[in-house]
Amino acid sequence: MDTPLAASVAHLTKTYGTGNGSVTALSDVSVGIRRGEFTAIMGPSGSGKSTLMHIMAGLDAPTSGQAFIGNTEITGLGDKELTLLRRRQAGFIFQSFNLVPTLDVRANILLPFDLDGRTPTAAEQHRIQDLVYALGLGDRLTHRPHELSGGQQQRVAIARALAAGPELIFADEPTGNLDSRTGREVLRILREASASGQSIAMVTHDPIAASYADRVLFLGDGRIVADKPRQTAEQISAHMLRTEMEAAA
Amino acid sequence: MSAVQIAPATAGPAPGLGSSRRRASFAFLRERGMGASILVTALSSAFGATLLAVTAYIGFLTTSAFGDSGSPAVMLAIVSTVFIGISLYVSAIVTSNTFSTIVAGRTRQIALMRLIGSTAAAERRRVASQGALVGVIGGILGALAASGIAVAGSVIATRLFDAPAYTDPIHAWMFLPVVAVVLTTWLAAWAGSRRVLTVTPSQALGGSVARSHEEIAGKRARHGVAIVLGLLGILLLVGGVVAGLVTPLGLLIAFPGGLLSFTAIVMAAPLVMPPVLRLVGRLFGGSTTARMAAGNALRYPERSSRMAIGVVVGITLVVMFGVASETFKHVAIEGMGQDSADALGVSMVLDILSSIMMGLVGFSAVIAGVGLVNLLTIGVVQRRTELGLLRALGLTTGQIRRMVVLEALHITLASTLLGLVLGVAYGWAGAQSLGGSGYGYQGLVIAPVIPWAPVVVIVAAMAVLTLIASVAPTRLATRISPVEALAAE
Repeated sequence: MDTPLAASVAHLTKTYGTGNGSVTALSDVSVGIRRGEFTAIMGPSGSGKSTLMHIMAGLDAPTSGQAFIGNTEITGLGDKELTLLRRRQAGFIFQSFNLVPTLDVRANILLPFDLDGRTPTAAEQHRIQDLVYALGLGDRLTHRPHELSGGQQQRVAIARALAAGPELIFADEPTGNLDSRTGREVLRILREASASGQSIAMVTHDPIAASYADRVLFLGDGRIVADKPRQTAEQISAHMLRTEMEAAA
Repeated sequence: MSAVQIAPATAGPAPGLGSSRRRASFAFLRERGMGASILVTALSSAFGATLLAVTAYIGFLTTSAFGDSGSPAVMLAIVSTVFIGISLYVSAIVTSNTFSTIVAGRTRQIALMRLIGSTAAAERRRVASQGALVGVIGGILGALAASGIAVAGSVIATRLFDAPAYTDPIHAWMFLPVVAVVLTTWLAAWAGSRRVLTVTPSQALGGSVARSHEEIAGKRARHGVAIVLGLLGILLLVGGVVAGLVTPLGLLIAFPGGLLSFTAIVMAAPLVMPPVLRLVGRLFGGSTTARMAAGNALRYPERSSRMAIGVVVGITLVVMFGVASETFKHVAIEGMGQDSADALGVSMVLDILSSIMMGLVGFSAVIAGVGLVNLLTIGVVQRRTELGLLRALGLTTGQIRRMVVLEALHITLASTLLGLVLGVAYGWAGAQSLGGSGYGYQGLVIAPVIPWAPVVVIVAAMAVLTLIASVAPTRLATRISPVEALAAE
């Protein structure tokens, strides 16, 4: 059966440490990331948004509950299976340090294929060529990461994440290290990718970044406190301010 | 009254603060790489002191057997000095490399100190004084080990050879190499900490660590000197080989030639090694793990080159002694007739002599090996984030293991190949310049004879070194959790 969800979690709880010193990062979270949508996961520091993303991506294991990528349950999988799953079903864009410094741009983009020991199919090659062209990386393919600007590095990471057409792309503060103009450009690229069918989950605490998403999930104290369709940056800021004031009261 | 008590400035430092500072000044010893530096200095000083102790004992034996005979003792002392010099040299390379690697990893911390107001010179002095402390600790350990060996060795030797009792196996001058090791370690740490001066306070603020590439420029003068020395050395080597066709004195021309040209190769390691490393990298094929391993070995070309050259020095000298003695033996036996007693005598003496020489230089290779293990380990520690990224993107632990092993293999294979080629060349030049006119021949051109036993031992030792060098780094690398590594950034 094909679900309309690219990833989902059910009754997810994650606690760090034991006894009195234990910290609950996530408590009984159930949510799905819909296919073809650009979902933003928002929340203040310590709200559990990064933990949620790490568990959904198979980078971290929950204390209890289940996590799925597509139809595959990933909780309980061994390290090897998880690694292969990430390689084949997930794409990653991090805040910084996205690229392997010893590999050139081309090799960085093709990394998921190379790790899998296969060459891209003709269709994939076609898609990669289109991506490289669309992201303006055509004359950068033989450059090393340190020869690129921050925005260019981020576009290489996007090309790598999109290249294999993964089930879901995880973006962790992808604009956190960029100036606002370059950041907007990166967000536009992500929105376009999602418009052509790519599912994306983006963790951010920037209301402007989140305003590019089709759906905004708000986390607070390890729970999902709101689930809203596309919002303007003003609406998102207002919501954050409101919850902040409620928490302080 | 405020809740926070501030001690008056005149009261001097609080005792708690003072002791925490003292603790901090030794805490660096737990840093990765320091243990290996101590091991290297201990090995080197133990080697030097033991060698002098043995020299003294042999001097004592010959004196008691043949009466006062100064010259063999002097000869022995000279030979020992050369070997101590080689091991000092290799351990200095290892130490300065280790310190420059450690400084590279401490960039953030140094930048923070600079930001708070520490001067670059003070930061560098701190690193150098840590080097001195490492040298002192290693030196003391080495001196203790050497004293133990000297006492135990003389007792055993007295029983074994039925020689007269050796009353004072420990002399103060035996520990001169220890002093030399401490001083060179200090100097090497100073040299290795050069990079401290390039750290700017703003690097503490940057969101990501700047991937500054070690520059090779600015070393032009040094490389120029190396090229001149190298050419001169080659000229002398060729001259010695040609002269060797008519007189054994050719060796006296070839020897300084070998010394000069080899010094040139060591000096110009950052020019010589990278092409060899690249060549070896190509042997591993085009898979991503292989390409990344090759890239890692060349990431800091100067660091890897110097590390590899330490191993090259050891292998070249071992092979050189082997090839020279085997080739010369071949000539001697042919000249004197297969079965003559003289030929047997010569070949036995040569065998013993070359095994001793090989053993002595082999020790430097052990020190270089420790340096290599250390380099790879620190390399993995400093690449945590990158390895975390690769794990996130789908690099399996098996692939990580393969990558680290290939990285180690990269350096050992390149060093072995270069060492074998150089060793055969130098060994042949030595034998040819000495034996080209000997035993009734004139103008004899000898083919180099390669003694397979030491070559096999070297290759096996390098294989073992590769495995040992990959154990600690792979264990560290496969334990890295992507979440942890990426969160650190």
